[in-house]
Amino acid sequence: MVGALRVAIAEDSAILRDGLVQLLVDRGFVITGAVGEPDALRSSVAQHPPDVAVIDIRMPPTFTDEGLRLALELRARYEGLGILLFSQYIETRYAADLLADDAAGIGYLLKDRVADVSDFVEALERVAIGGTALDPEVVTQLIGATRRTGSLSVLTPREREVLALMAEGRSNAAIASAMVVSEGAVEKHVANIFTKLDLPVSENDHRRVLAVLRFLES
Amino acid sequence: MVEPAEDTGVHVRIRGKELSLAISEEHALRLKALAQQIIREPFTKRPWAELAFFLVSGGLAVVGLGFVGVTMVAGVVLAITFFGLALLALSIRSARGIGGWQRGLARAMLDETVEDPEPFVGRHGFLGWLQASLRDRVGWRAVAYLAIKVPWTILGVFVAVSLWWDAFACLTGPVFSRGGGGLAVWGLVRGVFPDSPFWLQEGGFFHGIGLFILGALFLFAAPWVTRGFVTVDRLLIRSLLGPDPTAARVRTLEEARTHTVDASAATLRRIERDLHDGTQAQLVALAMRLGMAKEKLEDADTVDLDRVRELVDEAHRGAKEAIAELRDIARGIHPPALDIGLEGALTTLAARSAVPTEVSFDLRSRPTPAIEAIAYFCVAELLANVAQHAQASRASVSCAQQGTWLRLVVRDDGLGGAALSRVGSSSSGLSGLTDRVHAVDGRLHLVSPHGGPTVVTVDLPLTA
Repeated sequence: MVGALRVAIAEDSAILRDGLVQLLVDRGFVITGAVGEPDALRSSVAQHPPDVAVIDIRMPPTFTDEGLRLALELRARYEGLGILLFSQYIETRYAADLLADDAAGIGYLLKDRVADVSDFVEALERVAIGGTALDPEVVTQLIGATRRTGSLSVLTPREREVLALMAEGRSNAAIASAMVVSEGAVEKHVANIFTKLDLPVSENDHRRVLAVLRFLES
Repeated sequence: MVEPAEDTGVHVRIRGKELSLAISEEHALRLKALAQQIIREPFTKRPWAELAFFLVSGGLAVVGLGFVGVTMVAGVVLAITFFGLALLALSIRSARGIGGWQRGLARAMLDETVEDPEPFVGRHGFLGWLQASLRDRVGWRAVAYLAIKVPWTILGVFVAVSLWWDAFACLTGPVFSRGGGGLAVWGLVRGVFPDSPFWLQEGGFFHGIGLFILGALFLFAAPWVTRGFVTVDRLLIRSLLGPDPTAARVRTLEEARTHTVDASAATLRRIERDLHDGTQAQLVALAMRLGMAKEKLEDADTVDLDRVRELVDEAHRGAKEAIAELRDIARGIHPPALDIGLEGALTTLAARSAVPTEVSFDLRSRPTPAIEAIAYFCVAELLANVAQHAQASRASVSCAQQGTWLRLVVRDDGLGGAALSRVGSSSSGLSGLTDRVHAVDGRLHLVSPHGGPTVVTVDLPLTA
């Protein structure tokens, strides 16, 4: 990590915004802007480009999906800008919109996740450096909604667990520590999954995520 | 009490005996007014307008019924064929049209404004039109109107119109030395005096005088008889040519239901928004602070206790705020105060209001929970409006029973000028109330002149 990561925040709830600023500053991030509505974030990002923008989905004026549209817009305009969508509920369609062509530098997390500060910070860092961070809830919904249940049934329970963690965007090392197994064991599981599901093998974590998501969506 | 006033009374002397009729001043005045009206009536516009309406609309009705009747009979006879059904439909549709003309005539000549019935809605294609026409309640009611109106008109012509005619004939009789040949004379007078009375026997001075007096009597009686016939016609028009009461009620209920459904969807949305922006955000922030505190405590060597205490402090405050917000939201869904009854709930509301508010409560029976809730939300919303917009110094709430109705009156001494319009956010609360009230067939009435005071009256059925 070169220097402190720079974060812009768009969140209309003042309590949460202040809390986030406090938490991130505490963890050594640099806050380039903390605002309450989409336009303010546009100008903040233009003036002080961040590495990653944390964006609430429901913001003024209509409190529906302003944040999502803003995220898509910023992504198209600033290459390499990480986007972490932050919401109180998970909408699978939003995830699909967001991951339409690329999973690099994309995060979609429930706001509850900030309670586990380390996990949250880790996810934010992942997104900032071009990785992916999908909420377990998103992955659960995707797996629940997939029509590929037949293909998934060829996986062992352990492999399905690995698949879910992989879809969240975690690296092999992170999966290993989450499952309390060795990294080698995880690599073996991953290889099995790719063979069983006939997925193109990829070294890159976020390409791997995309492959898994495409599989679940198709 | 009005004392009988001896000196202003009317004294009548009959066959030498003095019969003292003590008529009170008030009655005397009333009698005088009545006499004046009877004398003036034939020379005012109204009886002539009514007579003209009776003749014109009667003529139209006869022709109309003729057409409708012929087509209908033909339609029924040919009903087994397609053509018969089409004729029948045509008959009903034309009855609807004639009904419309009758309504127009009544509006133009009698100032009798009857609302138009619901418009004809033909379904797709000719078959749809046919079916809708045959089932057109408005058309059938117009047929019924014509069927009653025509005999009524014939009777009216025999009674009322002949009175006018004989009045005219008798009054001009002495001049043209004829008269009294009309129906009124033959029917009424000859009925009462089977032997032709002396003053109707041809020729002579008494014949002339008698005819003249009879004509005058007929002239003064005719407007009232005409009015009687026209009044019945008005009632027929109102009940048979106006909007179908059943259909109108169905429509009102449908509208009210739509509004209620919309209102409850809006309420749910508001509650969701309150939870999302308020409580949920509070709890996330709370969890975040506790998470930070927890992480700080994990590293036992370098614990920044002050910072941890600060975080816990903030979390503690946030938890209390979340509880207070949750309580407010819950109260908006169902006010717990209602569990102890409407009176207690209204008293609590008044006590919480920013404007000093007096409550009077007089219900003999307890309304159903739905009505209690509507009454409660009405008062809550109205008092909130008073506090926000009225700049009032005092307000009062009265809740009283009137038969099977509950009447709420909320009054304030503020600026007035409140309106029930459906646009703008400040009044949306009031129209939301109207919807809630209409949904249970209640009424909301607002009087709010500029400069005040504002009085809102809400009538709700006790059970719904």
